[in-house]
Amino acid sequence: MLAVDDVTAEFGPGEIVALVGENGAGKSTLMNILSGLYQPSSGEILIDGEKVRFRDPGDAIARGIGMVHQHFMLVPTLTVAENVVLGREPRRLGFFDVRAALASVEATTRRFGFALHPDARIEDLTVGSQQKVEIVKVLYRGARVLILDEPTAVLTPQESEDLFAVMRQLAAAGHTLILISHKLREVLSVAARIYVMRRGRLVAQVKAAETSSEQLATLMVGQSQPAGAGSPRRASPGDAVLEADGLEALGSSGLPALRGVSLRVRAGEMVGVAGVDGNGQHELAEVVTGLRPFQTGSLKLMGKPVEVASPGTVRRMGVAYVPEDRFQRAIIAPMQVEENIALGRQRQPPFARGAWIDFGGRRSRAVSLLESFDVRPPDPEAPIGELSGGNQQKVVLARELDVAPKLLVVVQPTRGLDVSAVNAVHQRLRQERERGAGVLLISLDLEEVLTLSDRLYAIYEGRITGELARDEFDENRVGQMMMGTRSDRAPRGAADV
Amino acid sequence: MSDRRASSARAITWAARRALPSLLSVALALTVCFVAIGISRADFSVAAEAFQQMTWGGLGDFPGFFRDRSWALLTRPWGESTTKAALLVFTGLSVSVAFCVGLFNIGAQGQMTLGAITAAVLGAYLPLPRGIHPFACVIGAAVAGSAYALLPTFLKLWRGVHEVISTIMLNWIAVSLVENWLVVGPLRASASGDLSRSGTQEILSSAELPRLLGGLSRLNAGFPLAVAAVLVVWLWLSRSGNGFEVRAVGLGSEAARTAGIAVHRRTYQAMAIAGALAGVAGGVWVLGTEHKFPATLGSPYGFDGIAIALIGQNHPLGVGAAALFFGILRAGGTRMQLLGVHKSFPELIQGLALLFVAGKMIWERLLIRSQRRAMPSAEAPRA
Repeated sequence: MLAVDDVTAEFGPGEIVALVGENGAGKSTLMNILSGLYQPSSGEILIDGEKVRFRDPGDAIARGIGMVHQHFMLVPTLTVAENVVLGREPRRLGFFDVRAALASVEATTRRFGFALHPDARIEDLTVGSQQKVEIVKVLYRGARVLILDEPTAVLTPQESEDLFAVMRQLAAAGHTLILISHKLREVLSVAARIYVMRRGRLVAQVKAAETSSEQLATLMVGQSQPAGAGSPRRASPGDAVLEADGLEALGSSGLPALRGVSLRVRAGEMVGVAGVDGNGQHELAEVVTGLRPFQTGSLKLMGKPVEVASPGTVRRMGVAYVPEDRFQRAIIAPMQVEENIALGRQRQPPFARGAWIDFGGRRSRAVSLLESFDVRPPDPEAPIGELSGGNQQKVVLARELDVAPKLLVVVQPTRGLDVSAVNAVHQRLRQERERGAGVLLISLDLEEVLTLSDRLYAIYEGRITGELARDEFDENRVGQMMMGTRSDRAPRGAADV
Repeated sequence: MSDRRASSARAITWAARRALPSLLSVALALTVCFVAIGISRADFSVAAEAFQQMTWGGLGDFPGFFRDRSWALLTRPWGESTTKAALLVFTGLSVSVAFCVGLFNIGAQGQMTLGAITAAVLGAYLPLPRGIHPFACVIGAAVAGSAYALLPTFLKLWRGVHEVISTIMLNWIAVSLVENWLVVGPLRASASGDLSRSGTQEILSSAELPRLLGGLSRLNAGFPLAVAAVLVVWLWLSRSGNGFEVRAVGLGSEAARTAGIAVHRRTYQAMAIAGALAGVAGGVWVLGTEHKFPATLGSPYGFDGIAIALIGQNHPLGVGAAALFFGILRAGGTRMQLLGVHKSFPELIQGLALLFVAGKMIWERLLIRSQRRAMPSAEAPRA
C-alpha cells in the first residue's frame, strides 16, 4: 500500500512550514523519507537544487536535515552535553573529551539563546527543557532543516509558547522548520504555510493568515467535522457519585503523590482534571478505582464511604475505568478480543453460566459490541494485541461502558489515536454524561479537557490548585494553575458543591 | 453454521501451529540421537536396531507377540511406559499450571518428594479399608505437595522472593529432610528388625494402587488417574471462569488486578494445585510401583516435568501427549541396553527436544522481529 503518493512540497530557508493530517495520512512517512529513514520507491529530493539520495539518517544529517522525535531519545542518567554529543563525541587521544563536549554544547546553546545547563542531568529537567535538548542535538549536528514531530504533545501551554519562540528565532537565523502537528490552533499561530495531507496525498497548501482551524479540520478529514465543542450540558447534574476530601496517598516511589485532594463529581457531569504529567493525576485515578490505598482523607462513591477499596469492590459499586496505560492495565495483549471484553465480568452472564464460561453468550455480546463501537477488524477471536491502538481503545471503552457505570474514570483516553478515533471516543464520553454517568476525565491534553468538561480542576504537585466552571474556562488561567500559581480565587473544594 | 465451521477450522490451524515446533523438535532430536548412536558405534545398522528395540520396548513387542502369542510381551512394555508416563504427566502438569499463573515452578521435585514420603507413611501406618486407603494416601500426598508449593508462593507475594531461587533451595531442603534424615532415620524400615533393607516400611497391601492387568503388567491405576488429571486441568483452565482468571493473572497481572480479579488468591490457588499435582506424582510412584519410599527418589521426575511442560507447549493436552511419548521412549530405552547402547539415550532425546523447542521459540521471535522491521514499507503508515 502506498503511504505517500506523488507528493511535491517545497520548504524555503527561514520558513516555518506545518504539515497537518490525520493519523495514517502519511505525514510521518513523508518526514521519514526526508530524514533518510525510508527510501522512496520513486521521486527525488532536491537540496539547494541538487539531487540527493539518502541511504540512512546519517546521510540526511550530513546534508543538514535533522529530525526532532516525538518520543525523546535521551539517556536520562547522562548530562545535557553528553546526550547532545552522543554518537559524535569529541575525542582526545581516543577517549571521550568531556571538556570539549561541554564547550561546544555551551556554544550551541548560547548561539541560539537556549536556557540550558550543559552539565545538568536529563532526569532533572522538565519535559520542556528535554525537548530543547533534542533540538540542540540536531543543531549540534549542523542541521539547517529541522523536522519537529508533534513537539508540543507533552508540553504545557507556557512551555509550548517557549518552544514557538525558539522556533521563530531559529527561522530568523535562516533555518527551515517543518512542524508536524494536529493541534490546529498551534499550527496557525506559529507556521506561515501549511500543507494538509490526507491518505498519502497533499490535498492543500494554505497560508496560515488565510485559513481557520475549521477549514483545516475539514481539509484533513475530507468532510465537515461534527460540531464538537459547546456540547449541550444537562440542566442540572444529579447526586454526587464521587466525593473526595483531603485525600493523601503515596506514589509508587513511596513519596507523597497526593497531598490533600478534594473534589466532587456528580451524576450527569463531566469533570476534567488538568495538569502536567507527574503531578498526581495517575495516583488520583488509582485511588478512586481502588488500585492504590490512601493514607488520610475520605472517599465516598455513590454517597457511600469507602474505607478499604479494592478494584473489585469499587467495580461492583458501579465504577468503570479506562486507564492511561492500556497495555499494562486495560488489556491482556495475548488474549482474544472477546476474552478481553469478558475481563472483569468473567463470572457473570452473559460471559459465564455458573462456574463455566458461556462461550455462546460471550461471542454474541462481543460481536454486538464490536459492531456498535465500529472496531476493525470486528474479529472476536483475534488476539487484542494485534489490533491498532485506536481499535484496542474502542474495545476497552466498549467493555467499560457496557456495564452502564455510575462513575466513569478515564485517563488520557485519546492518547495516540487519530482524529476519527478521537471523535468516536469523545462522542461516547458525552453520551455517557448524557445518560447520567459522572465522568472524571484526567488528561494531559488541555484542549481535550477544555472541550469536554463541564467543570475542571487543575492539579499541581498533588494538590488541587484551582477549580473553574465551564463559563470561566481560559487557557492561560488554567495554564497558570497547572504550574502551581494560585488562581485569583482559592479552590472551592467541595464546600459549595 | 458456516461461522462455527470457520471458527473450528481456525482452532485446528491454531492447534497445529502451536504443536508444530514441538513435533519438529522431537523429530530433530530423534534424528540427532540416531546419528550419534550410528557414529559412536561406527555402524548405522546398530542405530536402526537400537531404535527398533526402543520401539518394541516402549509400545509392546509386536514381532514377539505374533511369534509366541504371549500377551505379556505386549502388556509388560505397556506397564513400564504408562507408569513412567503417569509420573511425567503429573509433574509436567504441575509445572505448566504454575506457568499459567506466571510462575516458574522448579520445585516440582521437592513437592514430589514430600508427596512420596507422605504417601509412604500413610500407606504403611494408617490402617484403612482397601477401597479408601489409596485415596487417603493420594490426597495426603497432594496436600503435602501443595503445602510445600505454597511456601515459595507466600515468600514471593509477601516479600518478592523469586520463586526460581526459593523453589530450588526448597528442593534441597526436601532431599535433606526426607532422604538424608527421615528415610535413614526415624522412618527406616530396619528399625523394625530387618537390617538388610533400605528405605521405609513397605506400605500395607490395602494402600497399593490396583494393577489393572493383574500379574501381566505393572500397569496400575495411576495411569487412568493421570489421564483424568489431564482432562480436568484442561477443562478447568480453558472452560471455567476460575481458570480464565488464573490465565488472566498469568498473562497480564496488572490488567487482571485492574479488572477486579483477586490476583494473590488466584496465584496461591494455582500454585496449590501445581504442588498437589507434583505431590500426587510422588504418591502414585510410591503406591503404584515402589510400595515404599526407597533410599532415594532416583529419577528426577520433578525436573523432567519442566521439559515435558515446555515440549507440551504448556497446554494440558500437549503435556499429556509429551509425557506419554517420553514415557514410551524411556521404557523402550531399557531395551536398548541389550545392544550395549546406554539407556540414558531417551533422556538425551528429551533434553535435545527441549533445547530445540526453546531454540524454536527464539527462532520464531527473530522471525517476527524481522517481519516487523520490513513492515513500514508494506503496511499502512501511522503518523
